Amino acid sequence: MPLNFHRPSSLREAMDLKQDLGEACHFLAGGTDLMIQRNRGRKIVGAVVDLSRLRGLDRIEPLGDGLRIGALARMRALETDERVRILAPALAEAARVVGGAQVRHMATLGGNIANASPAADTVPVLLALAAFVVVLGPNGERRVPIAELLAGRGRTTLQAAEIITHVELPRPARGSAFLKAGRRKAMEIAVVNAAVSLELDAKGLIHAARLALGAVADRSLVVADAEAMMRGQAPSPELFKAAATLARDASRPISDVRASADYRRHLASVLTERALTLAHKRLVAATTGIPA
Amino acid sequence: MKAPLTLDVNGMRHELEVSGETTLLDALREELGLTGTKKNCLEAECGVCTVLLDGKAVNSCILLAHQCEGRNITTVEGLARPGSLSPLQQAFIQHGAVQCGFCIPGMLVTAQSYLDELDGRAPDRDEVREAIAGTLCRCTGYSKIVDAIEAEALRLNAARWEAC
Amino acid sequence: MLKNYHELLGQSLPRLDGEPKVNGWHVYASDVRLPGMLVGRLLRSPHPHAAIRRIDVSAALAIPGVFGVITAADVPDVRFGVLVKDQTLFATDRVRFHGQPVAAVAARNEDIAERALAAIVVDYEVLEPIETLDQAFAPGATLIHLGWEGYEASPVCDRSGNVCNHSRIHYGDVKAALAKAHRVYEHSFTTPLQHAGYTEPRTSVAAWDSNGLVTIHTNCQLPFEVQQVVSEVMQIPLSSVRITVPGIGGGFGGKLRIGMEHYAAVLARHVGRPVRVSCTTEEELIAAHPRQAAHVTVKTAVDREGKLLARVARALIDCGAHAGSGPSVAANTLQLLAGPYEIEALDVQAYAVYTNKVPTGSFRAPSGPMANLAVESQMDIIARDLGLDPLEFRLKNVFTENSKGPVGEKLASVSIAECLNRAAEAIGWVRGNPEANRGKGMACGWWLVAGMSSGVVLRLNGDGTVTMQSGAVEIGTGALSGAAQILADELGLAHSDIHIAMADTQTSPYDYGSQGSRTLFNVGNACRNAAEDFKAQLRQMAGRIYGVPVEEVQIRDRGVVLPDKHVPMVEIAKIVNFREGGLLARGTTFTPGPAFDASRVKNHTLPAWSNPSFFAHAASVDVDEETGEITIRDYVACHDVGYAMNPAAVEGQIQGGVTQALGLALSEEIIYRDGIVQNANLTDYKMPTAQDVPDIRCVLVESPSVSGPHGVKGIGEPPCICPPAAVANAIATATGLRITSLPITAEKIVAARAA
Repeated sequence: MPLNFHRPSSLREAMDLKQDLGEACHFLAGGTDLMIQRNRGRKIVGAVVDLSRLRGLDRIEPLGDGLRIGALARMRALETDERVRILAPALAEAARVVGGAQVRHMATLGGNIANASPAADTVPVLLALAAFVVVLGPNGERRVPIAELLAGRGRTTLQAAEIITHVELPRPARGSAFLKAGRRKAMEIAVVNAAVSLELDAKGLIHAARLALGAVADRSLVVADAEAMMRGQAPSPELFKAAATLARDASRPISDVRASADYRRHLASVLTERALTLAHKRLVAATTGIPA
Repeated sequence: MKAPLTLDVNGMRHELEVSGETTLLDALREELGLTGTKKNCLEAECGVCTVLLDGKAVNSCILLAHQCEGRNITTVEGLARPGSLSPLQQAFIQHGAVQCGFCIPGMLVTAQSYLDELDGRAPDRDEVREAIAGTLCRCTGYSKIVDAIEAEALRLNAARWEAC
Repeated sequence: MLKNYHELLGQSLPRLDGEPKVNGWHVYASDVRLPGMLVGRLLRSPHPHAAIRRIDVSAALAIPGVFGVITAADVPDVRFGVLVKDQTLFATDRVRFHGQPVAAVAARNEDIAERALAAIVVDYEVLEPIETLDQAFAPGATLIHLGWEGYEASPVCDRSGNVCNHSRIHYGDVKAALAKAHRVYEHSFTTPLQHAGYTEPRTSVAAWDSNGLVTIHTNCQLPFEVQQVVSEVMQIPLSSVRITVPGIGGGFGGKLRIGMEHYAAVLARHVGRPVRVSCTTEEELIAAHPRQAAHVTVKTAVDREGKLLARVARALIDCGAHAGSGPSVAANTLQLLAGPYEIEALDVQAYAVYTNKVPTGSFRAPSGPMANLAVESQMDIIARDLGLDPLEFRLKNVFTENSKGPVGEKLASVSIAECLNRAAEAIGWVRGNPEANRGKGMACGWWLVAGMSSGVVLRLNGDGTVTMQSGAVEIGTGALSGAAQILADELGLAHSDIHIAMADTQTSPYDYGSQGSRTLFNVGNACRNAAEDFKAQLRQMAGRIYGVPVEEVQIRDRGVVLPDKHVPMVEIAKIVNFREGGLLARGTTFTPGPAFDASRVKNHTLPAWSNPSFFAHAASVDVDEETGEITIRDYVACHDVGYAMNPAAVEGQIQGGVTQALGLALSEEIIYRDGIVQNANLTDYKMPTAQDVPDIRCVLVESPSVSGPHGVKGIGEPPCICPPAAVANAIATATGLRITSLPITAEKIVAARAA
């Protein structure tokens, strides 16, 4: 193997390499972000530590009522896996609209988190699903809520040589939904995306509502105001509309070639309302057995 | 700095020497002379560089050659035995799916990956369109490409029923 | 068993180059590798407008693996250009657009070439760019070309300052017609720069031999024009330049004008090694030859019954920093602005305008979608205002057989009414808006067949097959495969008995080239004439060989038929080679334009359209009430193709052309800010994917042309013209919103709804 390409056979070896090689060395998983930045000349890639073939890290397996997903699980696997489609439909939906089929065969869930694009498709879903990220570092393993990992555009709180190994979805999220807007119907970086998850209590009131948006801030954005506002309320079109307004107000988007800030705020509202409506339908269908 | 690399391409093993920065695309085209795999956008948007990696369509422009050691790579040249055409390749010609032809190697490989995943199930036109959305064609407007893929999927579907 | 007339013509035969294109072995220009070949790259200006004070290439030259660096100082001081000689190989004292070549390097590989580019020092004095048409066209605007008066130019161009051509068609008493009108409508429309979107970037490989001949393997559409420009730029004889087009990954008019050929040639001469120059996607999007941006204003007067009385229109066509194809593109808008309509009085003017943006080209139906959007959007606005059905309103005004066209030419084979009716029938035309957020719209138009000349040479091969040599490039349309259907039919051969040779200026007969929807039309006619020559020669030879009177020899059934026997072509071909020195035949064609009234038209490169074709499109769209997202549910394109030589290939032209124009309608644009391209990558330059378009439904009308082979009309460009207008009209029906600028994005819908 060349001096600037490394294929460790264990996580330990990978961490050691990264510690030895330092800043100019990059972990490579699916490569669908890193390699594009390299090809565009935007990122100097000194050396590469190829994680993509570490064994066992692409598994999707049950974890209590929820799921434990290896960081190397490919988008295509998340899109097609039956358990993901049932227990976390929003995640399957988000994975389905990441690039083309070729990219989805390569891109990994861990990579989507680590790349920390404000427009990432799966990250808002993981926020809405209250996912935990399992991170292995030289000093051992830590398990952190996904929100604590995000530090801004392209930045995470991962320490040098730390590697995302798993994502844990502690609870089933049958009442979840993901929507995305772009100029085309495929092959889009989100102009705005929205992910929601609803849980109802025995009385049919909202026990927990979680809502996150993409491409409206410097990182995937949790709309905490809307979450708090919905808690304990009965689901209704009016409630969802009110939540949508809070989502719009929480958005701090930029204007760029893809869309204006105004249009992004507008979409934040529309997609939020629609995602909540869809998630609620799914939840009702899951509890009554009547398809949404 | 170049280093030895063993690549399995179209069922044949190749020993070559390439640097750590060399993409699979460049290794195929420049080192192995397999120019059927095309080069264009280099950012996984156009799909002309698509090859099969362990049977799945991937963009060879964003893969490093050294990443692919020990894995099975299939390019358009490997879709059929030399001198013959696969049924899918024939379907592309018969349905008028080929114009300038530059996207066609990537399109065929993308379609092959879809057909393999479909595994004899009946196809759906929207599903075909979704499967090939990562490969741009500027000539055909896609209809005849979808026709060709759909026809081959239907043939495979019929073959599966006959086998039952 | 044997192919006959009816089995070849009008049949969807598989294209002759299908097999190598599906097995991966078709060689494109970007696949060509020569021994010792170096990689050439261009240093491009990062500024849209700047004076060059100094260029220092010494650091670049010092890099190991760099074979040479050249700038304007190293090449002949020549200005060139198709209609206006306003460009140089490299910027001399000034750069006029972001992406203009300033220097070039030849190096051992891409990485070294990249490093060499980074090491070239250019000292720029940055100037304010003139970015918009309005800025450039304004009285007293800063001149993009200070010495424009001194440039050599075609006499057809009427130039002044930033305007490199002003053309006009004018007839009738416009003032009187406006005065008596029931209503007069005026609207303005804008369209953006659109890249041709070919999947193979422009690539050229040049190599010099010891006799001073430069051979350039390249993916261009017009080898003979490129040959001429290379000889002009390098100041060498035309015959010292050989252009071959091995294979070309799309063109669509974006590869008409010279691309990388001259850069490869000068680099190869400078370093004495073969050099390949290939564009990156970024270079394609900042410095190719995209469709011009346009700003079109149309004023139309109607009477009480809805008859068109007068039209006054002005089109500003944004050529970018060089005139390029712009002066003729601007002129071509005039026929489009008139539309396929009888109008009492007309005064339409077009200005080709320089700006500090990318020089533009002749993207498929140059001028078509821009002018058609304006005219056909306004036709719908007028119909709505008059309370007329848009279909009825159009039918009331369209050309009929023997109508006079805008320059007074007599029109024949006029099928526009039939196209409209059949498109309407196919889409299930209903007036108004029966469903919320869902609507249908239509648009119609007409387009020319570019004439000029084509030659074809035929060679009888020793195995009884025939090689067809044409200087027209098979750019993917299947036009040459269609011409081979005509040829095989004439010669009594099977389609697969015809071999099509690669276009090569050293061996191919002259051809005006694959442009202007002319290839099958003209090469097909040349094939018919060549077949006559072929048959006459072969009959003579057979007469001599078998001792029978010439008039008793027939050529059919893949051979020669004598009074007493059928000699297979393979058999006589061998004898012809041994006894007759082989058989070479040739045929040519020239299609003159129709007679017209020259007093009506000024400064027009194609003043009267030859063998025009007619078409009507209809779209059905959904518009999302809240997000503004547009979905094309159904699309019908009805085209009069004269005669469908190969129906599947004709459909392929229509479906592909419509899809490109749907890209212009809904998603594609090269976006500038402060003179800098903002989206020079395929992530943000958005061409339609397979999920963005429905199955385009084709309806073929066959009203034979006057002079095409078997009545063929052109079909290459027409499909690109109507989609933006048809979609804009469908959106207006669905939403009541009239969007007048392309692309019609969801965001524009939402903004219009809020306004």
